[in-house]
Amino acid sequence: MNSETLNSEALSSETLLSTRGLDKTFTLHAVDGRIIDGLQGIDLDVHVNEHLCLAGLSGAGKSSLLKCIHRTYASDRGAILYRTEANVVVDLLELADRDMADLREREIGYVSQFLRAEPRRGVLDVVTRRAVRMGVAHDEAADRAAEVLRRVNIDENLWATYPSLLSGGEKQRVNLAAGLVVAPRLVLLDEPVSALDPANRSAVLDVIADLTARGATVLSVFHDLGAIRQLADRVAVMSGGRIIDIGPAGPVLDRGMELIPT
Amino acid sequence: MNAPNEWALLVEGLGKVYGPGGAEAVPGTGPDFGRTVSPSTGAIVGCWDIDLEVVPGEALGVIGESGSGKSTVMRCIAGDQTATTGQARLRSVDDGATNLFDMEPSARRALRIDQLAVVYQDPSEGLDLGVSAGGNIADRLTAAGWRNFGQIRARAAELLARTEVPLDRMDDPVGTFSGGMRQRVQLAKALANRPSVLLLDEPTTGLDASVAAGVLDLIRDLLDETGVGAVVVSHDFNVIEMLTRRSVVMHHGRIVEQGLTDQLLEDPQHPYSQRLVGAARG
Repeated sequence: MNSETLNSEALSSETLLSTRGLDKTFTLHAVDGRIIDGLQGIDLDVHVNEHLCLAGLSGAGKSSLLKCIHRTYASDRGAILYRTEANVVVDLLELADRDMADLREREIGYVSQFLRAEPRRGVLDVVTRRAVRMGVAHDEAADRAAEVLRRVNIDENLWATYPSLLSGGEKQRVNLAAGLVVAPRLVLLDEPVSALDPANRSAVLDVIADLTARGATVLSVFHDLGAIRQLADRVAVMSGGRIIDIGPAGPVLDRGMELIPT
Repeated sequence: MNAPNEWALLVEGLGKVYGPGGAEAVPGTGPDFGRTVSPSTGAIVGCWDIDLEVVPGEALGVIGESGSGKSTVMRCIAGDQTATTGQARLRSVDDGATNLFDMEPSARRALRIDQLAVVYQDPSEGLDLGVSAGGNIADRLTAAGWRNFGQIRARAAELLARTEVPLDRMDDPVGTFSGGMRQRVQLAKALANRPSVLLLDEPTTGLDASVAAGVLDLIRDLLDETGVGAVVVSHDFNVIEMLTRRSVVMHHGRIVEQGLTDQLLEDPQHPYSQRLVGAARG
């Protein structure tokens, strides 16, 4: 990380991540090169230790923004400045692929609504291995995995079961457990409670609330106004690939109801 | 964030032309021309301008359809085929100073004992099917200088246990094993002398889905445990996704796109990558 390293003053001390003029289009080469707009000039500051929720209707660009930050999507232009644990400011878009992959393993986690687990491994094993990969010793990893699985209400009878055999809601909770067994510094949450019944949803929201209580920073997408009200410190409302409003959760939600699904 | 130049394997400017001549076959071939056969010489450009770098503990994926040149790349690095041009270096050989393509054939072959191991799609390329599982591994160990029978036997048993081959089959000819079991023995043999780089060429292709999942699982564990640098060639995106963080996409003998594996699969940029991913994932 040499040429990519920026002056640590490039971000104010309360800012963990800042997108600057971030554009994203999708070029469909199979459809005569048709270009679909994704994100347009996104300037967004994520503060250290806040829970910032992206709100907006389907197609507003919320998931695209999370995926551009995670570099699952290739951005067209702009910058994504990020302050690492070592207090170095880097532009994620300029990082070599391998450095980005390292950063994902250590600091920036993306948790989607879909479980992507290795086949033929039990639930406890899946979560334990994730912790081990993030540097936790095996015995402690197993303890932590058990703890987080209990917290998201995965019955102990299911711990040896292959995730492929679980229900949609169970898979989603196992996925969340794996993503959070070692909390990343920056958690990108993409609709993590979409398939959950009320009791499990509540348990999961508690686990997510705990992330910021323990020092992590969360940037999330929820299709669920209740979840946003419960968790978000600030809300950014997106429409047509732009951020059209941002601020403390209550006022933003009150004035932007028509752009937020309930 | 790694110290620079920590690579275990470095490949630069690798090219392979099948047929008469060399670089003069290249103009008019590749993705821009939609062909690998030279319009001027009739030679086939198997691969050209290939650059790869792998650090210890990292697996790099090579994606592409049949005929894209991915196996040619693998075989040139392994030494099964002679590269027309370019260089390949292993950190473990003269600290990276030697171009493997310039080595004497015998010295080159010797690398396969303990520096650069290969697991092939077809087990008969990596194993002697007429010899027992234990014997196949013993071959590799004795080539590396092991002499004590008891120690060889113990190490072979340890490797087979690790790759989940039943020890009561240790003395059976590998030719009597199932496909999945043969791949496990290949892995045990490949890793016997702790190579620094492992090349995996379609390691699960042709196996039943459930058997393939088990072998894949094992490979994933072995990569984590050994810290070996790996190149994984596969047309199966599930294999690539599960084993690698970075990948390259090959088409008509060239690398047309490279990046983080999930980005290549979710947001491919090159027209060919989009077609390839679209065809496989719908």
